[in-house]
Amino acid sequence: MPRRVAKHPILGDLEETNEIEFEFEGQKLKAFKGDTIASALIDNGLDIFGFTDSGKPRGFFCAIGKCSSCLVIVNGVPNIRACITLVEDGMKVERQKGKGNPVW
Amino acid sequence: MVKKVQALVIGAGPAGLCGSIAMAESGVEVLVVDEGIKPGGQLPKQTHKFFGHEGFFASIRGFEIGDKLYKRAIDLKVKFKMKTTVSGIYEDGIVLYDRDKEEAYDIKADFILIATGASERFISFKKNYLPGVYGAGAVQTLMNQYRVLPGKDFLIVGAGNIGLIVAYQLLQAGANVKAIVEASDKVGGYLVHANKVKKMGVPILLRHTIVEAIGEDKVRGAVISEVDEKFRPIKGTEKELVVDNICLAVGLQPSVELAAQARAKIEYIPELGGYVPYRDENMKTSVDNVYIAGDIASIEEASTAMIEGYIAGYNIAQKVTGKDLSEKIEKMKIELEEFRRGPFSLKVRRGLKKFGINYPEGGYRTEQQKDDGPAGKLRVKIECPQNIPCNPCETSCPTGAISVGGNINGIPHVNYDKCIGCGVCVMKCPGLAIFLIQEQEKHSIVGIPYEFELPEAQERVLLLNKNGEIVGEGEVEKVVKNNKGKTHIVFLKIPKGLENEVRHFSKIKLEDDEIVCRCEEITKSQIEEAINEGFTDFEELRRYLRISMGPCGGRVCRLQTLSIISMKTGIPISELESGRFRPPSIPISFKAIIRGDEKDEI
Amino acid sequence: MKYKVCIIGGGIIGTAIAYFLGKMGETSVAVFEKRYLSSGATGRCGGGIRQQWSTEANVRLAMRSVQFFERFKEEVGMDIEYRQGGYLLLSYSEEEAQQFEKNVKMQREQGLEVEILSPKMVKEKYPYINTEGVVLATFCPTDGHANPHKATFGYAKAAEKMGIEIYTHTEVNEIDVENGKVKGIQTSKGYFECDVLVNAAGAWSREVGKMAGVELPTESYRHQIFVTEPLKYFFPFMAISFSKNFYIRQALHGQFIMGQGDKDEKPGINENVTFKFEKEMAKKMTKIFPFLENVRILRHWSGEYNMSPDAQPILGKSNEVENFYYAVGFSGHGFMLAPAVGEAIAEMILLGKPVHSDISYLDKDRFKKGIVQEKNVV
Ligand SMILES: Cc1cc2nc3c(=O)[nH]c(=O)nc-3n(C[C@H](O)[C@H](O)[C@H](O)COP(=O)(O)OP(=O)(O)OC[C@H]3O[C@@H](n4cnc5c(N)ncnc54)[C@H](O)[C@@H]3O)c2cc1C
Ligand code: SF4
Ligand code: SF4
Ligand code: FES
Repeated sequence: MPRRVAKHPILGDLEETNEIEFEFEGQKLKAFKGDTIASALIDNGLDIFGFTDSGKPRGFFCAIGKCSSCLVIVNGVPNIRACITLVEDGMKVERQKGKGNPVW
Repeated sequence: MVKKVQALVIGAGPAGLCGSIAMAESGVEVLVVDEGIKPGGQLPKQTHKFFGHEGFFASIRGFEIGDKLYKRAIDLKVKFKMKTTVSGIYEDGIVLYDRDKEEAYDIKADFILIATGASERFISFKKNYLPGVYGAGAVQTLMNQYRVLPGKDFLIVGAGNIGLIVAYQLLQAGANVKAIVEASDKVGGYLVHANKVKKMGVPILLRHTIVEAIGEDKVRGAVISEVDEKFRPIKGTEKELVVDNICLAVGLQPSVELAAQARAKIEYIPELGGYVPYRDENMKTSVDNVYIAGDIASIEEASTAMIEGYIAGYNIAQKVTGKDLSEKIEKMKIELEEFRRGPFSLKVRRGLKKFGINYPEGGYRTEQQKDDGPAGKLRVKIECPQNIPCNPCETSCPTGAISVGGNINGIPHVNYDKCIGCGVCVMKCPGLAIFLIQEQEKHSIVGIPYEFELPEAQERVLLLNKNGEIVGEGEVEKVVKNNKGKTHIVFLKIPKGLENEVRHFSKIKLEDDEIVCRCEEITKSQIEEAINEGFTDFEELRRYLRISMGPCGGRVCRLQTLSIISMKTGIPISELESGRFRPPSIPISFKAIIRGDEKDEI
Repeated sequence: MKYKVCIIGGGIIGTAIAYFLGKMGETSVAVFEKRYLSSGATGRCGGGIRQQWSTEANVRLAMRSVQFFERFKEEVGMDIEYRQGGYLLLSYSEEEAQQFEKNVKMQREQGLEVEILSPKMVKEKYPYINTEGVVLATFCPTDGHANPHKATFGYAKAAEKMGIEIYTHTEVNEIDVENGKVKGIQTSKGYFECDVLVNAAGAWSREVGKMAGVELPTESYRHQIFVTEPLKYFFPFMAISFSKNFYIRQALHGQFIMGQGDKDEKPGINENVTFKFEKEMAKKMTKIFPFLENVRILRHWSGEYNMSPDAQPILGKSNEVENFYYAVGFSGHGFMLAPAVGEAIAEMILLGKPVHSDISYLDKDRFKKGIVQEKNVV
């Protein structure tokens, strides 16, 4: 895992946790249990979570659920905040482009 | 059936936790609600040691303070609901939105303590929407809570305490900090914090700002430039930096939405951080059963937030139980008064004066210690030149050699007759501002507080001064480990005469688019154009441009828009209407409301 | 300062009247608004524009307005996001269905094109609606919606261009009446003389009437409304049911705007909101529109319906105070009527009587003769 802070002088070494697997844009990726979608994507080197209506790339910004910059599509449901939603095994995450499509 | 609690605390940061502890101690039934995953608010993200005095956890690291307070609250049977947002305070109830269970339901409370803290400000520069432009708090959350680094090379914007602390934490997590830019002509944060990063070679560029992010899909670099006395970039002074991350630490604004919805009077007091609820010295707002504490009341720091939490908590407890708690309340008020005497509290004192609350200033030592003590003796050298509210050096010294001179804001002096060079204070000082020195026959010794991966004894190192410049070569004499506090001391053998120079070491191997409203992608020039067309009210602009109508509810862009209006119309922000704070404060789904309505306990 | 016409109220009605006065050549006009433009009901409303009413008069007035909305961009000069996506009226009982059929007959006589749809046809056209319980539906393709803020700004800016003054943050506190005639108004920014005064004060219409000594039988009731996070635009019409008590539409930006009435509201101005409203709406709306389940509510606010005894506007000129006009009591549908009303009041003032629309039956003295209730209201 490239961007993980495995060793830290204050927080100590990263504890062993279970790895889980999720999908992003059809690609299988690994994450730790307890990761949010945002932290899992960042760890995998993916900074672009989606695109705005006008096609600008979009990533996270506040990381605490306040700014709505990080909207992704999770298992088909749009407008999910990647920064406060935990990843789950088998979850399918996609980049949201502009506004989401309705599901019925 | 609508549930009712005696006291509801919104926010489990230091203020909310201490408020809940004060109430529960006195027998009040308390429910604490917080949207975070872990209790503690800002605390779990903080890996540095806090200032203040040891009664309020000075010298303990933020995340550990959070754990301690939480444990105390749990012991007192305080109930917690985490991952739950108070999505609105309505006429007919307070709505809790449990994100985990996807349920929203209403409750009632006799008293509410709102301790919702603050949110980060945003600034405009070209391409500021690119992934890789992140808030400082976001970087801390990711790096210290989730343990991932969202980049390798960082530019930090803002040299207040937050910018300085994030820079230091980034270095600890293994990232590079290319520079900290600061538009004003001095470092806003504590010098002791600034020195921690300066000595590691991070330049703090005063009178500089960011003008542009470089990159198409994500941040690949940044353009910075000098600014004139009106903070306008000076043409021709631009420099490019190769960074993959631009971390914004440009200040905080109180999160007042819920207080406003509870009908508390909101006023614009820039000294307190912008829009704040009016409150009296007991932390009561203009609404009788609504109290506030912490950053929502004034942007300050954890110790004052904790004390305010206690004051609010005891006041509520007094009303709920009918017990006389005036002694405890008085004690806390005196604590607060002592904290706020110093120069870093000047703004807060001025702001609170507007509410008719007066705090005295002064009453502490301001002069620096002149002598370095007797050459040849192993002794401390304190480099803490500002009047900051902090005193663990004094309280930790086993021989009583250090005194800060009366009030906690005083400048520490050493009594060299008493100092035995034991190093306890070096390990305790949250500013890493105390060093040990000793002149020996052929060389000198300096002991440096150190919070990074430790070197080996006898290792050769480059010696760095307090600006991170190389001043010579030396050797590690020994390492004294501190497994509990994690501030270790590295003793270096250095050339004579450099005792007051060496403060760090390194191992020898060594406008396109300025977005204001992110949700609706509205740029600064669109706003300025609309103002030219005559839309000069925030509400009019909002309706015309849809600014702050997006999912963030205006948190990111409200103040920025008001500043633009103010700059263009010359009307001070305090005289502009702030616009409405409409619930819910976080979007809640239909499903959640339906599910919440079917459940019958909190 | 003196103006020929002073208008109290910077909502859609006040600004529309100002605009039509200017267009007819009278530019010695000033609008007084105590807060900012569209701060009242206009800025809080659903923005629906419907011609399917139960009384002939309302149908005619609404049809006249639609003609103006269709040309708004060219004539007034602002894009107000006007879309004619139609209004789908859903009936849920035999009795309601019969009333609908009667209405459609009358509406067609007025020249309005309206379709009657069976539940099956609704389902085929709009698969995302759950039609359970629907007896029949009516659909008028030329109904639609627009952005009420922009419509107000459009009228105001066009009026200003013609030389009309708009005073925002200026409250009218007193009306100076002498010998049965308004002489001027006392405002928070000073005294203004006028030859004609118009009351377009929305929720405050009764109070403003009282200042002139004219009793207007209006009463204001809170109406709540909220908007969701945006989804892609796919829902072009406004859906509404009187018996199920709701309306819903999707704005061009993608958000859904919806609301309902509440019989338990007490009269008075109340800008608070309740969670009860969200609960009731959530349950009801996800049943009929299942795609809403995972959609989130973004902002919730309230505004006032300025109600008249028969739920129809009160328009005209007072006979107690000779130069005092009023356009009030819109009972929840003033936005859609604004262009026709603005034109009619301007004509009354300048020509002595309205030319394009007959509004005589909407005079305030009509209630002396009894009340014919407008039924098609939420
Ligand atoms: C929730 C809701 C949904 C609605 N949905 C629809 C819909 O879909 N379609 C539709 O056509 N209609 C709808 N309506 C009704 C519509 O909004 C109103 O009928 C219309 O906006 C009335 O316009 P107005 O200009 O009379 O009133 P307002 O917009 O209220 O304007 C009156 C103005 O007068 C000002 N004022 C009052 N007293 C003074 C004073 N003394 N001095 C100076 N200024 C003063 C006020 O501040 C206010 O700005 C809805 C209303 C609500 C509340
Ligand atoms: S080194 Fe020890 S004795 Fe000297 S001042 Fe520090 S704590 Fe006190
Ligand atoms: S020297 Fe004392 S006052 Fe200064 S930062 Fe260290 S502990 Fe605090
Ligand atoms: S990053 Fe701000 S809401 Fe997710």
